[in-house]
Amino acid sequence: MHRYRFVLLRPLQFLPVLFGISIITFVLVRLIPGDPARILLGARATPSALARIRAQYGLDEPIWTQYFYFLKNLSAGEMGRSTVFKIDVLPLIASRIEPTLALVLTSVLLSLLIAVPFAAISARRQGRAADQAIRIVSTVGIGLPPFWLGLVLILVFSVTLGWLPVSGYGETLPEKLSHLVLPGLTVALSLSAVLTRSLRAGMIAGLASDVATAARARGMPEGVVFWRHVVPNALVPTVNLLAVNIGWLIGGTVVVESVFALPGMGQLLVRGIFSRDYMVVQGVAMTFAVATVLVNFLADIITVALDPRVKL
Amino acid sequence: MTAVLRIEDLEVRFRDGDESRLLIDRVSLELQRGEILGLVGESGSGKSLLCRAVMGLLPSRKLAITRGRVELDGETISGLPEAAMLGIRGRRIGMIFQNPTSHLDPVMRIGDQIAEGLRRHRGLGRAAAQAEAVDLLRQVGFTDPPRQARMYAHEFSGGMRQRAMIAIALACDPEILIADEPTTALDVTIQAQILRLLADLRRTRGLSIILITHDLGVVAQVCDRIAVMRNGSVVEQGEKRALLAHPQHPYAQALIASHPSLPQEDAVGEPLRPHEAPLVEIDDLEVSFPAGGGLFGRKRSTKALAGVSLRVGRGETVGIVGESGSGKSTLARALLGLQPVTAGHIAFDGAVLTLERARTLARLRREAAMVFQDPFNALNSRMTIGETLAEVLRVQGKVPAERIPTRIGELLDMVGLERDFAARRPRSMSGGQCQRAGIARALAVDPTLIVADECVAALDVTIQAQIVALFRRLVQDHGLTLIFIAHDLAIVRRLCERVVVMQHGRIVEDGASAEIFARPAHPYTAALIAAIPSIDPDRPLGGGEAGAISETGLQQEGLTT
Repeated sequence: MHRYRFVLLRPLQFLPVLFGISIITFVLVRLIPGDPARILLGARATPSALARIRAQYGLDEPIWTQYFYFLKNLSAGEMGRSTVFKIDVLPLIASRIEPTLALVLTSVLLSLLIAVPFAAISARRQGRAADQAIRIVSTVGIGLPPFWLGLVLILVFSVTLGWLPVSGYGETLPEKLSHLVLPGLTVALSLSAVLTRSLRAGMIAGLASDVATAARARGMPEGVVFWRHVVPNALVPTVNLLAVNIGWLIGGTVVVESVFALPGMGQLLVRGIFSRDYMVVQGVAMTFAVATVLVNFLADIITVALDPRVKL
Repeated sequence: MTAVLRIEDLEVRFRDGDESRLLIDRVSLELQRGEILGLVGESGSGKSLLCRAVMGLLPSRKLAITRGRVELDGETISGLPEAAMLGIRGRRIGMIFQNPTSHLDPVMRIGDQIAEGLRRHRGLGRAAAQAEAVDLLRQVGFTDPPRQARMYAHEFSGGMRQRAMIAIALACDPEILIADEPTTALDVTIQAQILRLLADLRRTRGLSIILITHDLGVVAQVCDRIAVMRNGSVVEQGEKRALLAHPQHPYAQALIASHPSLPQEDAVGEPLRPHEAPLVEIDDLEVSFPAGGGLFGRKRSTKALAGVSLRVGRGETVGIVGESGSGKSTLARALLGLQPVTAGHIAFDGAVLTLERARTLARLRREAAMVFQDPFNALNSRMTIGETLAEVLRVQGKVPAERIPTRIGELLDMVGLERDFAARRPRSMSGGQCQRAGIARALAVDPTLIVADECVAALDVTIQAQIVALFRRLVQDHGLTLIFIAHDLAIVRRLCERVVVMQHGRIVEDGASAEIFARPAHPYTAALIAAIPSIDPDRPLGGGEAGAISETGLQQEGLTT
């Protein structure tokens, strides 16, 4: 009963958060130097043409009036009209969500596929050669910038070996998947480095814990002790770490999408900023914010599923 | 009788490079079939390590059996390969631990943890193992096993968790049960119930039990034979009565002499002196904690204190006793202004805390001090003892700066620590030494009142006796007022002239120690006293069955959902 109430009522708490985010993005976008009308029309536009564009997009209104319209639109599910693409922002974003969402999911999946076995090997062979190697690799992994890593992966797997496409997205599912492998791996390598370290620490603590001792004392083989008692307990803090990192990851897609020319929201954001397309930037930023909040909400629910001690 | 387990000349060493230390020193022991063997000794004496060695579960790769052997039913099991040990652990030798909370898997249902062993060792299917698990829970005293098998460890009280651990250990019907301090973390009435359960299991299942404990009272009550360990070797072993009556080894003699349940000729028993105006006055105090109810939920609360009134005179030593959850620590914290109160009044030497908070707090901080339960964590590990004391002295400003080093020396003298302890950090000190330093820090305030919250609970019996003696001396020499909170009634009886008994946030009895221990008026007090395991084996363990205890026991043991 209590749990259902949480799932239904917790989103109400998001409202003030989203309200705050709307103010911040609205103001920050307008702090970028440059005039959207002039960028749209070019350097030799006539003053009357500039004024017409400004009036058309409401840019000549006082800033609080503009914000009021922004909020009014948001509450009606509208995000205004793009000055560059000349269409409504909402369908524009909708058309770009899929590649970004697919990229994030691929990255999370790949990073777990990398992190869990590596952490397990590392923790169970603590202090030995395999552990040392994994620790060094994951420390280096944290330090590698994604844009560089992406280029290296393209060089190796696409240009030299020719296994995977260089960039772009594709139309059919197999095409899309093959286009997602390298960008997904790029993000996953840095993310899994963080996760491996956290999981390893949790597993080492778990192997030395009283729970593990008690399981051994009732004759459980080491493999059972590890996978049935140590791993579930080590996963709990990692879920929260993952949730925190997904916020960072969503921001990171901006870079990766540019490197791999994925037509996602990150690319849209970059174009929006360069052309001072206020509506697009606001819209994308709001979408990212909502996504981050939802991911953390999801992580809370997963934590409860994993750990019966956590009360909502 | 035949020996089911025989330990012969067993030696365990710690080896790291060239360093080698002897941890178990040529121990020989026998456990007869159906016998309960008490393994007694202080922390660090090697009793737990010995049992780990028997199980082949030495806690580090740097530890190894370097001599001797362990025989189970005539077959040598020490040095067996891991695969063979897997069939012995759990199946033939079960084990339960001191802290059930940390040994139960928090994210696995209790029933599944019992079923795990059944499925592995006895090859039962899922459904059969679950049914068996429910039956085991019933055997160890769960009231609604089908439902409780689906619950998690955190949903149970401490006593229920230990019962669950026992059910897990019994799952595969082992011949031997090793119980490592199974009742140390439990309240005295719950302890009585668990000990009775172990004795019953021995009778009904023919189980042989090794009971590790530091409490001679527990041993005297339930064991047949006793082995006393010190510094890794067994210094004395023998039949219970003979050993308790005529200990041969000086250490065994000291251990028995320091047991608090022994009536002492110098026990505090003088009648209450008439006191002038009370130092502490507490009227109708209520403290509630919010319980559950989130942002949108209805606010609920539990009452930790439900109308407590207490007067403590200058120079009095008052013991507050009661089981965990009875509100004794909350009372102490509220008294020192560390805990917001819901209703009622607290006055310290005429200043009313609830009315003039700032002024009273200022006085409390200068005239009252607290000693905490965990001596190690209550000290700042980065500071030397000298720095810790100097900090208090500087803040208090009662001692001029140039006198501070001298004063530190005096404080260390008062608590019986060498003066060179001023330069040491808690890490390099034993639990007893840390607690002395904690008391020195309280004395640095130059207080009129000291509140000690379970400050000897974590210490070995011989150290407990020393700390109690220290408090008695301090109270006599400095005219201190002492409020001493403990769940251990025997210690309170030795230290305090007056006892206040708390239950469910209320005071149920309050009077002179000698009077209350001789003629308890409230059934709860009587039950508490009866449940203290006496070192005299012929004074059987009370509690856990009839009368008041079944009522309080059930409430304590009851599920918290």
